[in-house]
Parts: sequence; structure tokens; C-alpha cells
Amino acid sequence: MSKTECVISKLPTPQRDTELRQVWRHLRRNRLAMAGLAVLALFLLCAIFAPLLAPYDPIETNYDVALQGPSTENVLGADWLGRDVFSRILFGSRISLTIGLISVTIGMVIGVPIGAISAYYGGKLDLFVQRLIDILIAFPGILLAIMVVAVLGVGVENVMIAVGIASVPIYTRLVRGSVMAVKEQGYVAAAKSLGIRDARIILRHIMPNCLGPIIVQSTFQIATAILWAAGLGFLGLGAQPPDPEWGAMLSKGREYIRTAHHLTTYPGLAILFMVLGFNLLGDGLRDALDPRSRKY
Amino acid sequence: MKKYLALLVVSALLFSVLIVGCGPGEEAVAEGQDLVIAMGAEPENLDPLKMMSAPAATVAEHVVENLIYLAEDGTLKPALAESWEPAEDGLSWFLKLRQGVSFHDGEPFNAEAVKYNLDRFMAKGDFEGGDAAVFAFLLGRVTEVEVVDEYTVQIHLDDIFAPIASHLSHSFIGMHSPASLEALAAGDYVEAPIGTGPFKYVSWDRGEQFYMEKNADYWGGAPTLDSVTFKFVPEAGSRVIMLETGEVHAIMAVPPTEIDRLEAEAGIDVVFQNSVRVIYIGYNLEDDLFKDVRVRQALNYAINKEAIIATIFQGVGEPSSAPIVPAIFGYTEAGPYEYDLEKAKDLLAQAGHADGFDMELFHPTGRYPQDATVIEAVQAMLADIGVNASLTTYDWGTYLDTVIVPPDQAEHDAYMLGWGTVTLDADYGLYALFHSSQWPPAGNNVSYYANDEVDALLDEARVTPDRTVREGLYRDAIDIVWNDAPWIFLHNEGQVNAVRSNVKGLIHHPLENLSAWDAYIQ
Repeated sequence: MSKTECVISKLPTPQRDTELRQVWRHLRRNRLAMAGLAVLALFLLCAIFAPLLAPYDPIETNYDVALQGPSTENVLGADWLGRDVFSRILFGSRISLTIGLISVTIGMVIGVPIGAISAYYGGKLDLFVQRLIDILIAFPGILLAIMVVAVLGVGVENVMIAVGIASVPIYTRLVRGSVMAVKEQGYVAAAKSLGIRDARIILRHIMPNCLGPIIVQSTFQIATAILWAAGLGFLGLGAQPPDPEWGAMLSKGREYIRTAHHLTTYPGLAILFMVLGFNLLGDGLRDALDPRSRKY
Repeated sequence: MKKYLALLVVSALLFSVLIVGCGPGEEAVAEGQDLVIAMGAEPENLDPLKMMSAPAATVAEHVVENLIYLAEDGTLKPALAESWEPAEDGLSWFLKLRQGVSFHDGEPFNAEAVKYNLDRFMAKGDFEGGDAAVFAFLLGRVTEVEVVDEYTVQIHLDDIFAPIASHLSHSFIGMHSPASLEALAAGDYVEAPIGTGPFKYVSWDRGEQFYMEKNADYWGGAPTLDSVTFKFVPEAGSRVIMLETGEVHAIMAVPPTEIDRLEAEAGIDVVFQNSVRVIYIGYNLEDDLFKDVRVRQALNYAINKEAIIATIFQGVGEPSSAPIVPAIFGYTEAGPYEYDLEKAKDLLAQAGHADGFDMELFHPTGRYPQDATVIEAVQAMLADIGVNASLTTYDWGTYLDTVIVPPDQAEHDAYMLGWGTVTLDADYGLYALFHSSQWPPAGNNVSYYANDEVDALLDEARVTPDRTVREGLYRDAIDIVWNDAPWIFLHNEGQVNAVRSNVKGLIHHPLENLSAWDAYIQ
């Protein structure tokens, strides 16, 4: 082993470290992104510690306080069966975050390999796969999700699968674009000429360079997934009673909007802030991960 | 100058007296007599063969009339038939028809027209082999409709059938112009009804509204209103706003939470009316879960009906005390099942379900007032005795196809439905729902209830002319059904409509119809 080889093989490690630190340093300076991160951290804490934080069982009914507005007993009021709205929103954050994270994971796990393989091999395979993806893209995401739920049946698990499937084409297109750009790079050609297996080239040499867009897209996609899930809940296709899903709470609360607006206001605000949090963080990450937009 | 002024004042006074004096009746009628009513559901069809719901009846009865009219006080009134009498043997009835009535298309109303309509409804006579009406069971005992003379019809029965006159008053058996029915292409159903009613059909914009204009030649005297429009507005909140802004004059099914607010509003009257509908959760009795009567009773004791009425319906309605409401002939007070958690738990434990069980509960949404909310409350109450009900929601059309199925196709353990005994006679409520011959697909005994004693009592009550004896038979049947508990008996619906105060004379019918032929705008 010569000295030069030694240096080259060691080079990437310190470089990646610096990259991560640079991104973090840049992100930290972005106030909006940090606000988003703080909001999300708060929601995450709420979700994890919901049983400790919630003053009531989210499905416990108390007909004496039904439809009453915010009070010292029920800080955000009570719903049509006298359930505590604050407790329901806390537990609802678990449902929304779970749906967001799991559905995006599903979309990523299916969409990323398809996009990478399609772009790497190109030719007829690419043509075939992309026409299939075209079909999926032809449907607006929420409509695709509704169709999947219609086939699988209602319920939180099926909503995750539905929203996951609806995000597949987004990832496929995104990764395909990135991989096509990267695979023309000299180092990929070099790897190929060294006889390295395709799978290894894709995993070790191409994908790490496509991670940025995937991370950014995932942040936005979680926000979209939460909105879609709330939309499905609103249509009665998502979480079923008595689960405190925000979209379902909003939908049912609509009946009482003139007399008990707290049933729509607070779940609505919860959805707003969670989605806003992911979007702000996503914006910040996009800037931070793009070397061109970094200012030093 | 002063003289002129005095003259002016006097003439003005005189003029005003004249104007007031000229008004029709004691109350002034405003200029535009165009009434607009907003209702939640659109008629599924206006053809007697296909009608199935109260919204269809409400719209249809303005245009198409029945032989006999069931008034809101529960009495049968002459409509197109002036009188109805049974033959001596009770096996046929003679109907004397109103003379000089013509359909909106100018065709005469006579015995032939009645025969044509009834035969078509039952798929008998010339219509043998065709499709009978969904509600043909109303005339299930009728063997033949005979034209005696131009204005007399004889209806032959296969056995004595006491409630026949009530059944003929059912809103789905309206008299359409035979010429208009003949003009229908094969497979088509009535879209533009032509009857004898106080209003004439003008247009039906699907999903929007049904518009009709007054029939100036109406045999009962032309209505004051020039036109009536029924708008279809499924969203209860939107209906309320339309009433408040004056876009409509009356709305049906006010959401309970808006009652207090609307009552406080000037210029709006909230109208409460009983309904003939009971709301219940039926068990699938073919299911092993519900073979034990103690389980069925336990769930009844576990439901706090009072709380549902007080909280969800703001006090409108009442807990069920029988499978039919008190206004129905043949009603007996058998309940309610008092809310008693301990008793419910004891019964469950005795039946071997001390830890409760899981069940699939199917329910519609948007059909009955607050249906989904009621189910949510029931779910929470059942959880208190360890019964874990998972809910499956369907829209109305799909729902009926899902739960009204033969036992081997049933996917549910329990289902929510309502039943309005719109003939005001217990036969229609009890026979259709509890007689063992009425299991789906043939009938509406969706719980697959079968009890020989109940069958015998209901059969006997059908052929017993004496009202006191019939009442006794129904009392016995109701007692047995109540203790057998094939349902979780929930509540008797109450109706809440709201009307602008300048609209007078609307009939808020217990059959859940809103009728405008006597109405006028002040």
C-alpha cells in the first residue's frame, strides 16, 4: 500500500463530518428554521409524554360539560360528548406524527430504489417504470390516497399505506433526477471501470450524493402526509371514533362552529402549527444543504 | 291652507282604512307568494315504484295525492276517495271516488286511473310480471282491484286485513295520471310527476331543487302560494344560515345545538313536532354473541338514553319505551330499560362475558339526526361494561345494501337503523320488523328475529277487525319483543324545523313531512 492511497481512502471521513457540521451551523443561523424545529420538538415531546401531560383520558366522556368552552377544568373546552379537547389534541399529535413518519418511510422505501434503479440502468426499463409513475402522477396525491383507502378500507394503518403509496411517485421522480445527474460524474465511471458491482456503486457512490434533496423532500412530504391524513380523517376515511385524530375532530366540530368554535379552532391550529413546523424546517434544510446558497 | 291640510289628513286616513279593509282575510298577504323550503336529503325517486324515504314523500305529496290522507292528528281524511267501507265479509273494501277531479295534464281522475296506479304498484293485472314497488308489501293482501263503476272501486283481499285504509294513505301510493305513466319508456321512472295535487310540477334540478307552481284548478280550492321550491341542502349549518339570511323561508331538521340560538333570534320560529320514528341498534341474532337474551338485555341497560337525549339532542325526543312510538295505534308502554351499569355487568357476567367482548357495529351517517354522534356515545357507554364496539360508517345507499341482507351475507354484529310507522298502525311497525316471514331480502326484519308466539299474535292482529282486541294482541306482542330485546332500544326521534315568522300555515307532520298547501307569506 502506497502513501498516496492511504491519504485518499481516509479523505472522505473528515470531509463528511465537516459537511454535517456546516449544515448544522448554517441551519442554526436560520431563525425561521429553528422556530420550526422548536415547534416540532414541542409536538414530539407532547406525543411522547401525552399520558403524563394530558389531564384526562382522551376518550373519557362527561356529559355534564359537553360543548362547554375553555374553562379551568377543560383548558381548551370539551367536545360534544364532554371529552377534554386539550387531552385529545395531545394524543392526536401521536397519531399525526406516526402517520407522517411512517407513510413517508413507506413512500421512501418504495420510491427511492425504484427511482435509483430506473435512472441508473436507463433505457427501456427507465421508459417502462417512468410511464407507470406517470400514471400515478396523473392523479392528485390526495385522490390517489382516497382510492387506496377505498380499496383497503378505512383506518389509521390503511391511511399510512395510502399516503405512503401516494408519495411514491414524488420520490421516484426526485431520485431519478438526482441519480441521472450524478451517474454522469467521473467517479462513477471510474468505479464502473474498476469493476465494482452496480448495487455497490448505487449505494456507496451515488446515493450519498442524492441524500440532500431526499432529506429536504421528506421534511416537506411529512407535512403533506399529515395534511392528507387530516383530509382523509375529515372525510371519515381515516382514524375511526373514538380515536382523537385532528382531521376527524375538525370535521365533526364543524357542526358546532357557530356555537362551540373551540372544537374546530384548536385542532385546526394544531394541524397548522405542525405542518408549518415541518415546512419551515424543510425550507431551512434546503438552504443549508445547498452549498450555493450558503453564505459565509 | 289649513282646510286643505285637514282634507289631506282625512283622505289619507280614509285611504289607509280602505287598504287595510281590502286585505284578504284578517291578515295581509304579501306580494310574492313564492315559498322556498330547505331540506337535508333529496328524494331518491318520485316514482311510486321506487320511493323509499320521507324526503321523497314530502316533495311528492304536493303534486300527487293519495286516495286517503293521514292528517297530522292521526285521523284518516278523505282525499281522492270520499269514503271507504268494508264489504260484509270483510274480504273487500268499496272506495267511492271524488268526482270532477282531473290530473294536471287534463286527464280525468276515475276508477280506471285508480286501478291502473294500484296494479302498477303491486305488479298485478296488466303489470303482471313487471317490477312491483319497493313498498308493495303495503298492499300485500290485495288480490284484485275491480272497477265497479266510473267512481267506485272494489279492492279484494285474500283475508281480512284491518289496516288497509291506513296502508292506502301511505305517501308512496300516490295517484299519477295513467297517460303520463304510459308515456314512460320501458325501464324509465317518473321524473316529472303529474298528479291531482294543489301544485304542478315545473322542474327538478338534481342536487339543487324541486320547483312547482300552484294548480289554480285544484279541487280543494287553489292555494294562496304561487309556487313552492324545495332546495336540497345536506349541510345542516348551511340550512340554518340560509334561513337567517332569508334565502329560504323554512328549513327542516335544525341541528340541536342551534335551537337555542335560533329561538332567540327575532323573525324566526322554531317548531317542535313529534315523529313516528324510533331509532335503534339491532343485533344480528344469527350471531353467537347475541344468542343469550341476558347479553341483549345487558347492552340495553348499559346505554344512558337520558344522557343522549339531553346532551346530543338538547332535550328533543325521548327514550324508547316500546318498539313503536306512543302516537301509534297499538302502542304499549313496555320500558324504557333504565340505565343501570351494575345490572348490565351482572347480566353480562351471568352470560359468561364478565370481561366483555368485541363487536362490529355498522351505522349510517347523515341519515338520521346526529346518527354518528349517537353511535359515538353508544360506543363510549358500551366500553364502560367492557364491550368494545368497532364502528364502520357507510353513506345511506351503501349502508342499506350492506345491512339489509340475508343472514349468511351479514358482516355486522349489530347495526343502527330507524323505522317510522307512517301508517300510525302497529301492524306496519311490528309486522315488518319482527315477523319471521320478513327476514331480508324479503322484508325489514334485519335482526333475523323469530318468535312463534310473536308471529301468531301479529298474524291474528292483522285479521282482527275489532280495535280493542287488536290493541290487546299488540300489547302482548310488544311485551314479548321488549323482553326478548332483539334491539338496543334507543330513542323516539323528535323533529325540529324552523320557519321565518311571516310564513303561516305550514303543516309540520309527524310523518316528517313539511306541507305547504295551506301556507301563505304575510
